[in-house]
Amino acid sequence: MNEHNHHSMRPYLGKLAGVKELGTDIRLFQIELMDAVGKEAFANYKPGQFGFVSAFGEGEAPFGITSIPAQDGLLEFAIHRHPHGKTTNGLHNLSVGDPIGVRGPLGNNFPMDDIKGKDIIVLGGGIGGAPLRPVIKTVMENRDDYGSMTILWAARNPGLLIFTDEYEEWRNTPQTELHLTVDNKPPDWDEGDEGLITTLLEKLNPSPENAITITCGPPIMIHFVSLTLKKLGFTLDQMLVTLEGRMHCGIGKCGRCNLGDIFVCTDGPVFYHSEVAELLESFL
Amino acid sequence: MIFITHHNLLAWLGKLKEDRTLIAPQDIGKGHIRYRPVSDIEEITFDYTQPEMSAKEFLFPQTDRLMRIEKRGDEVTLHDYLLEKEQIIFGLRPCDAHGFLAFDALFLEQDPPDVYYARRREMTTLVGISCPQMWENCFCTSVGGAPDDPSHLDVLLTAVGDGYAVKAATSKGKALLASAETQEVTDLTLPEIPKNETVPILPAEDWPALFNDQYWARLGERCLSCKLCTYVCPTCRCFDLRDEEVLSGTGIVIHDRMRVWDACTAPNYRTIAGGHNSRATKGQRIRNRYYCKFHYYPKDFGPLGCVGCGRCIEACPVNIDIKEMLAQVADLHEKVEA
Repeated sequence: MNEHNHHSMRPYLGKLAGVKELGTDIRLFQIELMDAVGKEAFANYKPGQFGFVSAFGEGEAPFGITSIPAQDGLLEFAIHRHPHGKTTNGLHNLSVGDPIGVRGPLGNNFPMDDIKGKDIIVLGGGIGGAPLRPVIKTVMENRDDYGSMTILWAARNPGLLIFTDEYEEWRNTPQTELHLTVDNKPPDWDEGDEGLITTLLEKLNPSPENAITITCGPPIMIHFVSLTLKKLGFTLDQMLVTLEGRMHCGIGKCGRCNLGDIFVCTDGPVFYHSEVAELLESFL
Repeated sequence: MIFITHHNLLAWLGKLKEDRTLIAPQDIGKGHIRYRPVSDIEEITFDYTQPEMSAKEFLFPQTDRLMRIEKRGDEVTLHDYLLEKEQIIFGLRPCDAHGFLAFDALFLEQDPPDVYYARRREMTTLVGISCPQMWENCFCTSVGGAPDDPSHLDVLLTAVGDGYAVKAATSKGKALLASAETQEVTDLTLPEIPKNETVPILPAEDWPALFNDQYWARLGERCLSCKLCTYVCPTCRCFDLRDEEVLSGTGIVIHDRMRVWDACTAPNYRTIAGGHNSRATKGQRIRNRYYCKFHYYPKDFGPLGCVGCGRCIEACPVNIDIKEMLAQVADLHEKVEA
């Protein structure tokens, strides 16, 4: 019954294969899809795409996919629990082995082929780093295809910096730098700077020449990062961003994520900032 | 011209009702008229203007059980609820049928189609009755409709003499009419329906020029964000999804995943993770609703998102009037262009 009548509002059935704590109220969900149709749908998803994750009985919500297609076939989502969020609480209450549902992959993706040969600057704010991890992984796996990679990883506090156990691997990748910053630095934390990501960006002062930036974070961060980048000489065509909307369908029907006449779900979520600037309605 | 007497019409409806759900205008008390499933032909009212709610709830229910989620231990099975019984919406006003054009454009023609809506649409036949007049708030003729427009119906009846002129507009309508006792007449003159003055509709491509005008903030000051306009609207289609427990027993829990009407005029509609709301003001939200109808919808999907039924005018507690808005927007555009 589950395999035959697949359609776009119906989740693929999966099992929670693994859970890792990523930070305060943030967990990595590793999902094994159970049926052949689902496995095939997720055989070749791209960095920047998203999916809807179902905690059956609690609801479903959209999250950026944080893995890249891997041999073990596990699909990963980094999910920040909201204190009042029915779905995120439902997901955080699941245990390994529990059933879980996934719809997708949805939306467009980062143009990883078009940006080959360029220096890549990745700017992630808090849980906004989740859809950027596939970019980092893609560059690491195809290291010679890209120029340098500079990762700016920011959060309100160290507990919200995600994927800490991978930092060493990122830093050990050739031509790759990782810079951390938190809004308020606790006395016992000495792994990075204090301040906003824009302060860190100005300090690093990356060259715009043959470079591309990829930003994901809250709208206010995307806005101020773009202003700082402009100051550093970057054009809007050199800035990739990924936007969000609290979608209910992910396929352009429910209305939730429109920005003027476009839908974040089907026209995005990845945009060049030049496209965003042209939108009738602001994301801010 | 084909003609059916009132008596034969009732007999036909009685026959149709035997193996289909018949939905028709009914007086549900104190003169409130709604489209409702009929258990007895006697319940149908023929003396009505425009039902208070559109008929969209029969193709896009206010609360629609989409899917049963059955959990037995660690096993989950999903089962789609798809409409099983054919339905006829009778007495539909042409504007309400016109409303389904907007739904079809998004839920059927935009890939991927919505299986739940598609099934309901396929199982539904629309039998309309021409409006004898345009009422106070009606402006269908300004947005491509007419009180006697058969375009979006399977069958259109127009009252004349002691019965109705019958027009089968689709093959589905012709098939349905096969069981009706009708007669061919030649000397029938249909009544002329007086038309309301039309409202100027700014062409879809001209709306962006007014997006940042103060007009929207001013209009928004009056709005209560009560969402009534979206609920009575035959084309508003925003939806939310939620899971609700329906049964829980030893080793088994059943939830239904439900689709419920949503409204872009609600204060937190555009709030995203982290709390940012890019449409935090009432002016921004009312602008979104009107732009959806007259700019986004035609640009993205084809049809206008308005059929001129005027229900939102009647429903609005603070007298926000879509006709007034349309006239003001047309004026404003003239000034901007000048």
